[in-house]
Amino acid sequence: MNANEPPKALRGVGNFIDDRFHLAKMGEKNLRKVFPTHWSFMLGEIALYSFIILLLSGVFLTLWFDPSMEHVTYDGSYQRLNGVGMSRAYESTLHLTFDVRGGLFMRQVHHWAALIFVASLVFHMLRVFFTGAFRKPREINWVIGATIFMLATIEGLFGYSLPDDLPSGMGLRILQGVMMSLPLVGTYVSMFLFGGEFPGDLIIPRLYSLHILVIPAVLLALIAAHFMILWHQKHTQYPGAKETEKKNIGAPMFPAFAVKAGGFFFFTFAIIAGLAAFVQINPIHLFGPFSPTSISAGTQPDWYMGFLEGSLRIFPNWFDVNIAGYAIPTAVLVPGLGIMGLVFTGPMVWPFIEAWITGDRRPHNVADRPRNAPTRTGLGVAAITFYGVLWLAGSNDILSHTFSISLYTTTYIFRVAVLVGPVLAFIIAKRICLGLQRRDRETLEHGYESGTIQQLPSGEFIEVHKESSENMVHVLQSKKPLPRIDVDATDENGVESPAKRSIMGRLREGLAHWYTKDNVSFDGVRPNSGHHLHHDGFEDAAEEHDRSETVRTP
Amino acid sequence: MKWITARRRHPLAGYVVVILALVVFGVGYTFLAPTADRAEAQQDQAAPERSDGKIDLAQGKEIFAQSCASCHGKNAEGKRVGDTDVPSLIGVGGAAVDFQVSTGRMPSMNADKQMPRKYPAFTQDEIDDLVAFYEDEFGDDGPKVPEEDLVPATAPERNQFPSDHEGEKAFEKAKEEYDEAFASYTSNSDTEAGMKLYLTNCAHCHSWSGAGGALTDGRWAPELHEASPRQLYEAMLTGPGAMPVFNDATVSAEDKQNIIAYVNDLQEEPDAGGPFALGRVGQVAEGFIGWTIGISLIVACAIWITAKQRSHD
Amino acid sequence: MTDHNNTNDDADNGRVIGTPTGGDSETLVGPNADAHGEHQGPYPADETHVWPEEVQRRGEKVAALWFFVAFLAGVGFFVAYFYFHPNAQDEPSIADPATAQYANMAIGGTIALALFAIGAGMTVWVRQVMPHYEVAIPYDEFPSAPTEKASFGDFFMRGAHESGFIKRKLMRRTLLLAMAPLGLAPIVLLRDTGPLPGDKLHHTIWRKGMRMVVEGTDHEIREADLENEPGGMITALPKHDESDPEHAHGLSLNEQAKSVILLIRMPEDDFNPEMERLNWTHKGIVAYSKICTHVGCPAALYERTSHRILCPCHQSTFDAANGAEIVFGPAHRPLPQLPVTVDDEGFLVAGGDFSSAPGPTFWDAERGA
Repeated sequence: MNANEPPKALRGVGNFIDDRFHLAKMGEKNLRKVFPTHWSFMLGEIALYSFIILLLSGVFLTLWFDPSMEHVTYDGSYQRLNGVGMSRAYESTLHLTFDVRGGLFMRQVHHWAALIFVASLVFHMLRVFFTGAFRKPREINWVIGATIFMLATIEGLFGYSLPDDLPSGMGLRILQGVMMSLPLVGTYVSMFLFGGEFPGDLIIPRLYSLHILVIPAVLLALIAAHFMILWHQKHTQYPGAKETEKKNIGAPMFPAFAVKAGGFFFFTFAIIAGLAAFVQINPIHLFGPFSPTSISAGTQPDWYMGFLEGSLRIFPNWFDVNIAGYAIPTAVLVPGLGIMGLVFTGPMVWPFIEAWITGDRRPHNVADRPRNAPTRTGLGVAAITFYGVLWLAGSNDILSHTFSISLYTTTYIFRVAVLVGPVLAFIIAKRICLGLQRRDRETLEHGYESGTIQQLPSGEFIEVHKESSENMVHVLQSKKPLPRIDVDATDENGVESPAKRSIMGRLREGLAHWYTKDNVSFDGVRPNSGHHLHHDGFEDAAEEHDRSETVRTP
Repeated sequence: MKWITARRRHPLAGYVVVILALVVFGVGYTFLAPTADRAEAQQDQAAPERSDGKIDLAQGKEIFAQSCASCHGKNAEGKRVGDTDVPSLIGVGGAAVDFQVSTGRMPSMNADKQMPRKYPAFTQDEIDDLVAFYEDEFGDDGPKVPEEDLVPATAPERNQFPSDHEGEKAFEKAKEEYDEAFASYTSNSDTEAGMKLYLTNCAHCHSWSGAGGALTDGRWAPELHEASPRQLYEAMLTGPGAMPVFNDATVSAEDKQNIIAYVNDLQEEPDAGGPFALGRVGQVAEGFIGWTIGISLIVACAIWITAKQRSHD
Repeated sequence: MTDHNNTNDDADNGRVIGTPTGGDSETLVGPNADAHGEHQGPYPADETHVWPEEVQRRGEKVAALWFFVAFLAGVGFFVAYFYFHPNAQDEPSIADPATAQYANMAIGGTIALALFAIGAGMTVWVRQVMPHYEVAIPYDEFPSAPTEKASFGDFFMRGAHESGFIKRKLMRRTLLLAMAPLGLAPIVLLRDTGPLPGDKLHHTIWRKGMRMVVEGTDHEIREADLENEPGGMITALPKHDESDPEHAHGLSLNEQAKSVILLIRMPEDDFNPEMERLNWTHKGIVAYSKICTHVGCPAALYERTSHRILCPCHQSTFDAANGAEIVFGPAHRPLPQLPVTVDDEGFLVAGGDFSSAPGPTFWDAERGA
């Protein structure tokens, strides 16, 4: 009799399940999954939890919400709008707000959770991008994640449109306007989606079925796949003394991490609930019902659509053309479809582009420190800047009004900033990375500055450097030479390979050069040695880090 | 300095520096930026004594001569001051005079710029004198000030009355009368018509909540929160600045009452969704709060959960 | 975390590090990272920190305090919920916005507090009561061994040959052929989601002689009603025929969305003499579609001093004094203009339909239909 034998009741349940599914071994293995203990690995969990909160609050809302565009005259509890004509959808949202206890709270929970959901997705993707956690073998999971981000954005846009209040209808109108601009098929797409002309009386029921059924189902499936792949491949981890490409270090799922994750769910829910209780969001009863003839100053989409709004605002009509009287409104097509396509598909293809440029086909489990991949980090910061400028441009009227800058001036500023900003951001971020690399090499070689000043017998003052800890040495040594396509890609006769001579080959080599050229070399640096050593002496120390200098093109 | 040296390598040192910098910046900005309170205090001069309600043309003439004629000309014909053509006042109507002066936009020191709303330089009695003088002297074919018993004028303020006990009583009485007039003016209105008219003709500049918005060339549509019903009425009637005119023929007096009642009701309604309404700015502010407050608090929790555990032995 | 060599001690005071654990141990951690690591046995951790009993006891108390706070907040939620009333008759009713705010704070605040306290309690539990250790599990090697791959390839191709799918071309091709129409069927089934555009987008209900009314009041507008000096503006719709059963409740939203106009009056001299459809104006009165030609927001910010019409969504700016030509922003074409005249009784009427299709610019918006 073992003291750790489960109580009888638990054994009964366990046996019942195991008799049918043979789960004991698999169950134990999965409870042993290791989770890195760093807060940045919990960003994806925020997204998961806010998605669960969205499902819960969303189900509550469906119990009262009526997605009908039938015209009614309001006669209900909310005095101010009595006698006002509106759609059934708007009326039922008013009912939900003023006749159902907790209805307003749940509406606000749903909306705040949506904002937090997309925000945490973006934050999570940035962490994965900057640490290179999307690299082989995790590219597929990254693509799934990027798809979740795209669907979440669309899901949010549709949800925003359901209550049929003034700004929500305007969001739909802009969506319809972007569709209409498609050459040849635009009017057909719009007519089919809206069941006729704008606004018609079908769009809200149609978006409703997409919003509460189709897209959540796909999202749920993708999230499940994302987790199963994560579970199978395991987390990446930051470099350290114990963390290697072979072993994953962290807290096990059972028992510690299960409690941590459970607690974190409650925290996430609590903060969303706190916002919903005290900070008003989307007060549709104040906006008034939708009318296609009315608009308010400062009309905005939710934040995650801000980049689209911004690009529609600042993209000029200089490239619009008419071909034989047929309009090609590039000022709608480029921002509405081009930039949106770039934001959604750019992340999806990046892992493959990077692997192609660097020729790096090795699997990676230890995360890059962002400084050790300066070109990628620079590109990431440039992308953030691009997105951020567009996002800011989406509120240029608010900025103009708040800071008393001329409206057109803000547009011109953003037009320049969206082109110059990312370039500057790239250069600055890359320089900072290289500077940090140099400092790392200093630290690795001489130890860290202790802050203690000593006077030498000669009278000279020096700051005492102390030896870096073992862990720090490992962190610093995690910097590998950047993978690079072999420059001497020649066959055995010394002739340049045809693949390399082709246009793509030359492009690839050029990109590879650009990607790796400025990198600071750590060759021959011996930890805490105070001076450079010869290359040979370094080899042993670095052996466990399975360095490989160059990667041959496959 | 020893204290700092000992702690500057603490893991939290960076955060402390950032927070300190933010505090210094925030406090500095608060001191530098002129606040509404102080701007008002500077304007707030000695309380005038007269409150008998009688029109005094001579007083109006004096105000005109001192505060208007220097730019608009002795005969209100308008003239060139510096680089700016100051408009003529002939035909603008008493309503325009009342609006511009009672909202503090006139007299203005800088004719080039759009004037923000300010504390008025004259009392309502003085403005009434000025309007009476203006209509007497320069004709009354322009829009007239709506009558007080039809559209409530500006709310009385404490400093318009003597500071003694009698004055307190008189102020309270005047305030009560005003509130009553206001309530009766805004009740019994047609919300549907008011809302339609407001949303189709006003909201695109002044925003759904009356918070105002941006126009071209650095102009802006002002917010409507402080405007009295009479000022709103006069603004529609006279079209100050770039605003188009909504005269009584297209938007009748009753329609205007509906619009004013709608926007007043909307503004006075408490925010059902919570005490922090983010200035009713809407989605931009919500996104900002979601990122700054929401995500940071959740991440703070994650940091607490995953923080390195130190041994306490 | 400096001391590495404590011995196992199931009494109350020690952090236990790197020592063997018996079956009745308090922790799941074992002595070494042996082969059992992934599937069974204790966790292979190098160092384990077990809190001294007094720390654990203190942690338990703090966690319990949090959980009790959560319980109280949960009870508070019920109190808050039943204190407020859902209908407008009973007091305090959430139908009143001020009360709704209190109800929202009370209901939401108690829930938020209960959730937070549970989270905090669990965090204290895991940080102060549970032992702390890190374990290592091996990453899987993903590519299968060459023999496994070869075996799979062989197996799969045998099966494929056996099925005849490769050899029996006729069967394979007809199967693919059979799939094609079925694959297209779902798309075809969507055909009836809406009508074909036809020329619907090019026409509105504006007809010659149709009167204009103020939107919201249905007040018919006379020429004299619009102020000439300093310049008026109003949003207007066509006057609908109330005897027509189709319009018994006013214009539909679809009709409004297409026919809504911005009626502007300015001094006649202010018009650009080059303006193409100057004769469509009447004594300084001009009418443009209110729907922006960019993506369809109502473009309505009319500045009477500069005669600009600005769209608040994406800031396309049109010159009202010059046929609504674009002066700034992303719009593709001018706002469509509506001819304005007066009828015998002095009411403003349309002289026909818009100069081009109103609404967002589409493929053939500027082509007559």
